[in-house]
This record gives sequence, structure tokens and C-alpha cells, in this order.
Amino acid sequence: MRNWLLPEYVADILPATARQVESAKASMLELFRTSGYELVLPPLIEYYDALVTPEDGALAIKTFKLDDHFSGRQLGLRADITPQVARIDAHLLSQRTGVTRLCYAGSVVHSRPDGLMSSREPLQVGAELYGYAGIEADLEIIRLMLTSLRQIGVEGLRLDVGHMGLFRGLVQAAGLGHELSAEVFSVLQAKDLSTLRELLVDVAEPYRSAFLALPELYGSRAVLDKARTRLPSLPEVELGLMQLAAVANSLEGEVELNFDLTELRGTHYHNGLMFAAYAPGWAEELARGGRYDNVGRRFGRARPATGFSLDLRDLIRILPQNESAKGIKLAANLLPQATIKVAELRARGEKVIVDYLGESAAALNCDRELVKAGENWQLVPFK
Amino acid sequence: MTLTIALSKGRIFEETLPLLAAAGIEPAEAPESSRKLIIGTNRPDVQLVIVRASDVPTYVQYGAADLGIAGRDVLIEHGGAGLYQPLDLNIAKCKMMVAVENGFDYDAAVKHGARLKIATKYPQIAREHFAAKGVHVDIIKLYGSMELAPLVGLADAIVDLVSTGSTLKANNLLAVEHIIDISSRLVVNQAALKLKYDTIQPVLDAFAGAVSQ
Repeated sequence: MRNWLLPEYVADILPATARQVESAKASMLELFRTSGYELVLPPLIEYYDALVTPEDGALAIKTFKLDDHFSGRQLGLRADITPQVARIDAHLLSQRTGVTRLCYAGSVVHSRPDGLMSSREPLQVGAELYGYAGIEADLEIIRLMLTSLRQIGVEGLRLDVGHMGLFRGLVQAAGLGHELSAEVFSVLQAKDLSTLRELLVDVAEPYRSAFLALPELYGSRAVLDKARTRLPSLPEVELGLMQLAAVANSLEGEVELNFDLTELRGTHYHNGLMFAAYAPGWAEELARGGRYDNVGRRFGRARPATGFSLDLRDLIRILPQNESAKGIKLAANLLPQATIKVAELRARGEKVIVDYLGESAAALNCDRELVKAGENWQLVPFK
Repeated sequence: MTLTIALSKGRIFEETLPLLAAAGIEPAEAPESSRKLIIGTNRPDVQLVIVRASDVPTYVQYGAADLGIAGRDVLIEHGGAGLYQPLDLNIAKCKMMVAVENGFDYDAAVKHGARLKIATKYPQIAREHFAAKGVHVDIIKLYGSMELAPLVGLADAIVDLVSTGSTLKANNLLAVEHIIDISSRLVVNQAALKLKYDTIQPVLDAFAGAVSQ
């Protein structure tokens, strides 16, 4: 039996990479901490109904289901941490009426991988801001996302910004049914103009032209002006374009910006400004997020909400490996006398490796050796 | 930034040449005579990769190529995840049809609500089509010579591409139902469109200008 075999799209993280993952995670959590985000650790398993809303088909497929032998109810292995954090804000922290900032880092499990390059066990890291509907909250989250990527070494970042409100506003005004709007939504994601034309034959003007304009509305800031002339003046459209312009004003010069009015590939629950970060080397976005007001309603409290998340496993796959620091070799026979000195070195962050087999400096990844010269301990560099 | 375009040999390649020319791109070699899989062009920043038609979406989805040209049939089977499909190129046109052996009463078979056996290279399209009609089907996935399946009793009907209909005729089959029109689409990797907008957009515009509507 090949008992060493792992299930498909499941992988170990080996020494050098594991350290890199942990230090990237630590640096992100530290950034979140100093930005005022409190850490939460939601459980791996929950009642399925709490993890997945009935409307969210994609998340339902991705979620592994199990039986709870205590309650007889169905459990789910979490496939996304954001709804868990929304539950915490809506229920456990419901005595807080002001702004609540929460962050997390943990594994999620997908019954099917998101793509050929994805793991079925992504390491999701993210931050969420509840209780403030203003654009400043979205900007805070966007900046947090960009900084967390930059500080682990991602270069050449581009930010892609879209707005779910525009699409929702058009769907409502045009009176599209549930099924048709879902089809239009997925065709828009593909910018598939010819199929879109087929779908919209019975949709009235000016909405037909508006939907047909959306796939071409991507690129630089000029897109926003073009959108004003090509989309009908609905309150949702006006608000969306105003918010997109505010993002442009605030972030221009900080990051390369793209606008894309059909870039809405978030999860089912998004309803406002949406954004994703891209960088050379990654064939997909590295991180994404957006506004998802009122998701907490089903847990007892509807709140404005915005946040972002990323898969650290996917990020680390492409980042250059940083070399691990060299250590100090100590011959095993010296250990009994050296315990105090070794403890002291380790407390300073030095890596001290006890050598039992007389291995080479290279095999132990050491560049110095701890030796005794008379009464004193000395660190002697290897040639 | 280098631009990589994934193409398949044969009809799609031939019909793409004028579009490439409109974008100022000329292949350095013909893939039919060359065994190379990566073909340079007159532009140092543009290269072509020659892959199987059904692999084009996969190469583009994972960023191994920035652009690609693939039939609508192939794109539906692939699912289109991670791809933009901004342009119907109106090339390599044909129809996806249901065909049966001459004399087989297709309408009666559908009406009786029995379970039909369908042989096809396109299980996704076939499944979707019969689900929309409200007919139960078992799909038999084949990789070629579909026309044989009804003749030897492997299937009641086939779902296949039909361009002139001469293969059907030669095998005593009859096209009984039109599913969709097929033509080739330009597909773009989503991240590439964001990251290489300045290189890709002029190519898209040139293609759009050259497409015969």
C-alpha cells in the first residue's frame, strides 16, 4: 500500500518554506495588531448552516460536510473564515456598538481546489472592519492589504478596483429575474460580449446598452468618465462611480491602479466597492476583498463591513525563498559544560545545533563553531 | 513585457494569420512545417506557442500564455474559469448538432422520456442541452470517430461539430437538432490583462478592427 500518498491537491510544507510561511504570517499579524485589529481564532468546524447561506452555491460545493454525533446536525469544515468573523462581530461582540476591527490566520479546507495551482487547504489570512460604512474604511482595508503584501516582498503590485453596487443597481432597474441576472453576472466576469448580447435580447433600453458597455469599461481612470456617459444615471450607479473616483483620488501615486466595472469575482455576499491585488509572476490575484454590509443580519445584527483576505500558501509558492540564517555548531561532548552559554546564545536568537555524528558545517548549515579556549567560550568561524 | 499567444495548428492557425497581421504580428515559421512548439514572430516581444486546441484555455488560465484562440466548444467544456473572452473572432465557424442514424425516430425517443445514450467529445455541452430539454441522458465520452457510435449500437445519438455535413452523410447519419453556433474566441488571462494592459489592449483593438462582423 502506498501509505505515504497524500490526497490530491494536498501538500506538506517542507522546512525552508514552512519557516517562511510562519514568518510571513507573523509579520502580517503584527501589522494588523499595530493597526488596531484584534486577533480571533474561529473553530475549524461549525454547524453547516452557520458557515454557508443557502444562496451561496459556490461556497456550498467547496465545504466538506460531516455529521455531528452530539446534536445530529450537519457540520461543515470551514471553507472561508470571513463568515465566521462576521458571526463573531454580529453575536459575541454585539455589545460593542462602535467600530470593530478583527483579523485572523488559519487553514480552511476546500472539497475542490479553486484551480490547478491551488491547494485544497489554503492558509487564509485576512482582516475585517465592521461598523463603518464610509469609504475611509474601504481605503484603510485596501492599504492594509497592499502593505501586508509589500512587507513580505511582493513587488510590482497593481490594484484592481470594481463596484458591485453598479451591477446590482442595473439589475434592479432593468428588472432582471434571479436566473437571468446570475447568467449575466457570470458572462460579465468573462467579458464575453457575444454571449451577453444573446442573453440580453429581451432587456429594455437603456439597460441593455448599459450591460453591454460594462465589459469594455476597464483600464485606467478614464474608464470612470466613460462610464458616466455610457451608464444610466441611477442612484446606485452615481454612488458607485463617486466611490471609485474617491479611491482613485486617494490612492493615485501609492499604487498602480486599474478600474474594471465587471471585476466582481468576490463571494456571493459582496455588495459595494471590491478590489484585488495583482503582481507579475502570479496568474491570478494574490489577495482580494470588498464591502459586504449586512452579512451579520442572520446572526442577529446587520452591520456595515469591509475586509480582505489572501491565501498565504499560494503567495509563498511564487515568492523567492529567503535563505535561513546560519547556525552555530557544538560538539556533543562539550554540551554538559556549555549549557549556560548555549542558553544565553539561544536567548539572543542564535541557532545552536548539537552535533552527534561529527557532521560537516554545510550539512548542519552552520557558519561558526562554539569551542572552549581555556576558561572562555569562543565562536570560531568556519573557513 | 513579452506577450505569449497560444494557438492550435490547422484551421484556427490559418484563419488567425490575417488577424495577427492586423496587429502587426507575423510568425517567423509555419507550424505545419516546423516541429517547434514555441515560434517567434517579427516582433521580439511576441511569441506563439503551438498547443492542442482543447489545451488552449488551460495554458491561458494558468498564465502560461497571455492570449489564446479557442473554439466556443472547447471553452464551454473547459468552463472558462480565469479567462476573459472579450472577442468573437468569427473564424473556424461550424455548428454543434445532435445527429442520429437515418431512420431513427429521434422525436419519438425524446417524447417517450426514456433515457437516451449520447456519444460525444463534448459531455458538458451535451449534458446542458439535454437537461434544458428535460431529457435524461447517459453520456458516453469518446475521443474521435463519433459517427460510428450509433451505427454499432453504442449510442442512440451523437453530439458533434458539423461544418459541411459530408461525414454524417457518408456514414448514413442525419443532423436532427441544432445546439449552438460555434466560432473561435479570443481568450485572455485575467491577470495578464491587468498587468500587461498596455501591450495587450492594442492587440485586442487590432483584432476587433479586423474581425469580419
